[in-house]
Amino acid sequence: MTFRFLLLASRRAGHLARQQYDVIVVGGGHAGAEAAAAAARMGAETLLVTQKIHTIGVLSCNPSLGGIGKGHLVKEIDALDGLCGRAGDWAGIYFSILNRKKGPAVWGPRAQLDRQRYREFIQAELLGTPRLTVLEGSVEELQVTEPNPEEPGHHRVTGIRLANGSHQISARSVVLTTGTFLSGSLFMGQTTSPGGRIGDAPSSAGLSYTLQERLGLRVGRLRTGTPPRIVKDSVDFSLVEPHLPDKHPTPFSFLNTHVRCKPEEQLLCYLTCTTPGVERVVRESLHLNCHIQQDTKGPRYCPSIESRVLRFPGRAHQVWLEPEGVNSDLLYPQGLSMTMPPDMQLLLIREIPGMQRAEIHTPGYGVQYDFVCPTQLSPALQVKSTQGLFLAGQINGTTGYEEAAAQGLWAGVNAARWALSMPPLALSRTESYIGVLIDDLISRGVTEPYRMFTSRAEFRASLRPDNADLRLTLKGFEEVGCVSSLRYQEAVRVRDSLQEALAALQTLTLSAPNWTKKLPNIRISEVKTTSLTGVDLLQYRDVSFEMLASAFPECLSRFTEFSQRLKIEAVYRFHCELQKKEIERIQKEENMALPQDIDYFSLPVSLSQEVREILDRFRPSTLGAATRLQGITPAAIVNLLQYVYHTGQKERGPRRNKPDHKEDREEELCARNASIPQ
Amino acid sequence: FIIFVMISVTVFPTNLLFCNTIFALSSGHGRCGVAVVRVSGPASATALRSMAGLTRSLPPPRTALLRSITEPQSKEVLDRGLVLWFPAPHSFTGEDSVEFHIHGGPAVITAVLQALGSMPGMRPAEAGEFTRRAFQAEKLGLTEVEGLGDLIHAETEAQRRQALRQMSGDLGRLYQDWSHKLKRCLAHVEAFIDFSEDELIEDGVLTQVDKSVCDLQADIERHLKDERRGERLRSGVQVVIAGATNAGKSSLLNTICQRPAAIVSPIAGTTRDVVETALDIGGFPVLLTDTAGLRDSPDLVEREGVRRARERVEQADLTLVVVDCAHLPSDAQEAAAFLLAHLKSILPETGMIPPYLSLSDSQLSLKAFQTQRVCGLPPVCLISCHTNEGLQDFVTVLHNSVKTLCGDPLSGAPTLTQARHRAHLQQCVTALAQYQQYRDTDLALAAEGVRLALTSLGRITGRVGPEEILDIIFKDFCIGK
Repeated sequence: MTFRFLLLASRRAGHLARQQYDVIVVGGGHAGAEAAAAAARMGAETLLVTQKIHTIGVLSCNPSLGGIGKGHLVKEIDALDGLCGRAGDWAGIYFSILNRKKGPAVWGPRAQLDRQRYREFIQAELLGTPRLTVLEGSVEELQVTEPNPEEPGHHRVTGIRLANGSHQISARSVVLTTGTFLSGSLFMGQTTSPGGRIGDAPSSAGLSYTLQERLGLRVGRLRTGTPPRIVKDSVDFSLVEPHLPDKHPTPFSFLNTHVRCKPEEQLLCYLTCTTPGVERVVRESLHLNCHIQQDTKGPRYCPSIESRVLRFPGRAHQVWLEPEGVNSDLLYPQGLSMTMPPDMQLLLIREIPGMQRAEIHTPGYGVQYDFVCPTQLSPALQVKSTQGLFLAGQINGTTGYEEAAAQGLWAGVNAARWALSMPPLALSRTESYIGVLIDDLISRGVTEPYRMFTSRAEFRASLRPDNADLRLTLKGFEEVGCVSSLRYQEAVRVRDSLQEALAALQTLTLSAPNWTKKLPNIRISEVKTTSLTGVDLLQYRDVSFEMLASAFPECLSRFTEFSQRLKIEAVYRFHCELQKKEIERIQKEENMALPQDIDYFSLPVSLSQEVREILDRFRPSTLGAATRLQGITPAAIVNLLQYVYHTGQKERGPRRNKPDHKEDREEELCARNASIPQ
Repeated sequence: FIIFVMISVTVFPTNLLFCNTIFALSSGHGRCGVAVVRVSGPASATALRSMAGLTRSLPPPRTALLRSITEPQSKEVLDRGLVLWFPAPHSFTGEDSVEFHIHGGPAVITAVLQALGSMPGMRPAEAGEFTRRAFQAEKLGLTEVEGLGDLIHAETEAQRRQALRQMSGDLGRLYQDWSHKLKRCLAHVEAFIDFSEDELIEDGVLTQVDKSVCDLQADIERHLKDERRGERLRSGVQVVIAGATNAGKSSLLNTICQRPAAIVSPIAGTTRDVVETALDIGGFPVLLTDTAGLRDSPDLVEREGVRRARERVEQADLTLVVVDCAHLPSDAQEAAAFLLAHLKSILPETGMIPPYLSLSDSQLSLKAFQTQRVCGLPPVCLISCHTNEGLQDFVTVLHNSVKTLCGDPLSGAPTLTQARHRAHLQQCVTALAQYQQYRDTDLALAAEGVRLALTSLGRITGRVGPEEILDIIFKDFCIGK
């Protein structure tokens, strides 16, 4: 693993080398970090503005990365050359693959992280990224002006204004990743204070004002929470059940063959559970608990301990005690998010086996914050009404580091593409979990914090963690431009080797009795008179690629590096082939763009008023997205199709074809190209 | 431009995706000597070979051939008819296509459709699918393309009405029950996949699913084998007479039937249940239904009658709204407005209003109402049930409407719906077998089987989206990491 630790150098506004950037990223959390890094990788001169440089890459809540569904996202972010996979391999102190027994499509790579190491890695990466400048500061408001008339939208973003003084920095695109800081308020017991995370200053009200009043964006309110941190030495480990990590840690990143932490140096997690005493404390403290009394939507799947015992009373709920780092004195009690007063929190945790004498280092608290209804975004994560403004992370109503990072990366890519005059790009839900995430957000919106589950992906058999590189790295280099050539070459090598190996397996054709001779321990049904190929054999439960390679070393042994991937490919091949047709169909629909400024009420095609209203409300970006809207009839789709067909013939109408604008545009393009660093 | 959309509102992958060959009855039903069943897609040639006994070679393209048409497995002869082979691209859809010209009886048609549905890779066509494929292959002119939306709309509507009819009975309840069970199975498998590592979701959950899947598979298979279990299917164009109490609905029924099928009295609310009569109108099968007058009644029995009446109106292909002329304003403009308002109160709010006829009854000579079409009004006929004045005109209008409806092979053909249902249920059973196959080796692929099963069943009972599954998960389990 190549890792150069860089000295942190804070840069202040006065020292900025330039007052104009291609892309400005606001916020240095998981979305912001990926967005800034991705934009810079794309070739855009990028500025990351964050309140404090040393909180870039902070794990505000749980000290872990990945898991079921989330692990898929980490693999995909890594496949697109993002940061979090490599950061996880650097900072991980407990690695395990969840769902190991349930089939490779739903394996969930996960790691407990050392908080400090994770932060250091992300900060070093960002500060060492060419074309990326990091600036400490607080953004007061967005600079907005008239739209470029050749593109859809009512406004155009031109930069930001910083809080201290009226310092302005201009940019072609801005990515907002404000997390829980947009009108955020913190809740603990009966006290409420403004802010998005304990210990950090609240963000300015100006940004919230710009979004709602100036740009007219619809916002909603969500809530989340975090548990108290427990002093490690105060826990009695004889009363809790230790859980071991995997003996051989599996790296997240396709570039890494091993992780930084030595297998034997991994730490342990511990399992304990709630008791009736916990339920009693919750009930007794309800009247002192503002957060739980509010009806703001919190997540159903990561509820506070209060909601859990109230919704499912009379049972023991699991509590995981997770390490916070190699040198940390704290434990993170997963499952004990709470917002009651600190003295009650102490009473509560002491009702839990192993924690009867536990001490709290930092109490748990709740956060309520504004999010922008994500149906107002395009598949490129751009605000449809505002040219050059991109949103990513919790501001779009999601929860989780991985969900934030995934959006950040994609918003960063598209912010750079906009700034560099390249057309926007979308990831399809047929090719990635990132695509599923973005499509769900922009076409359905959210009613609670959105988290990834594997059940959200229709093409789960095809979108596996193991093949994220084949799905995305090649595309990321060839079409998107966010992948380094080094990573690309590795992905090409992997692809070619897998193809060769599968071809070699396919040509290994023997009759069933002959296979039995070669592999005496495997029961092959002799009924089959037809001959079987190596791929057929590999589909047998007990046949591994290594077995085949030792039976046919001359043609297979050179592929043993890919044993596991080949086994998975063989088993899933049939199912992926089946899904391929449906995937192609959906991709065709998704390739048919619906103009974003279309007036559905005056569209001269036969559509019912109800359908027009739905289309107007959700403004689907493609015909594919339109088919997934509730209440859109097949007939309406055909009528829309006709519209796309006709306008497609006419080069999408007069809007794009004004000759006087054309020359301007060409000049502008030349100017822009001149400013792209070579 | 060659990009094309298959209109399917599903997000789930369908296991129909490997059934890329579609079939449907292409001729209208009703008075027909010859029925045409069309097949289009890659498996067309196989279908032709195995059903027309052409093992060695295919017939010359686009040439009619007289063959015995047999069931592919049992080799039982179903009919003797013409077969035509249209190899791609010289066919209506641009794909390999086959036409079977068979005798027009419902038994023969059903048998042939079921035989096609039993073959691998075959499925009943979706609404408008043949035309869509033709469109895709650029076989349609621009005017035809413009009509496509309307056509699909009409076909979807016909299917929706047909499905409503079948789904409102015992069969519907059975399917809904299966769908409900399957949803829970899927939710529980998905919960086990997405949450069991961190949560207290015991392996017992899967044992439950195993049992449910097994039971469901057995239930559906038994249902598919039991030929007699089907409900009595009401065949023909469904014409429903509706209107206010005492408007003369039952009199109209009796007049059309020329026999007293319903009791007629001057007392409002005489008809309390639906009265059905099978008729032949100009050679087309029609099921004429008289319903209770629509009014708010304190009487429980009458209220039930009104509920049934509304249900029938919703499922009707054609609704005859009866209005007593005595209630009509004398001014033609006002009368039109009155009729429009009246129609609105009777016809279903949702969905498309089926083509309907309005007609006023009795005391004909008193009102000089114009019979020409008024803006927004359906055809209006004036009849007197006492003197039979205007009856002939009315029957002509009715005949024309029924004829149009029968030209649409989907309307009033329960056997077609039945064939569709069978195909989907068969796919459902196959998909459940995938669960069993992968249960112990790969739960993701096993879950895929349950997803596919639910998608197939969803084609009958309505789509189930991932959000609905997540809802069940969060209701049944305490998920809280």
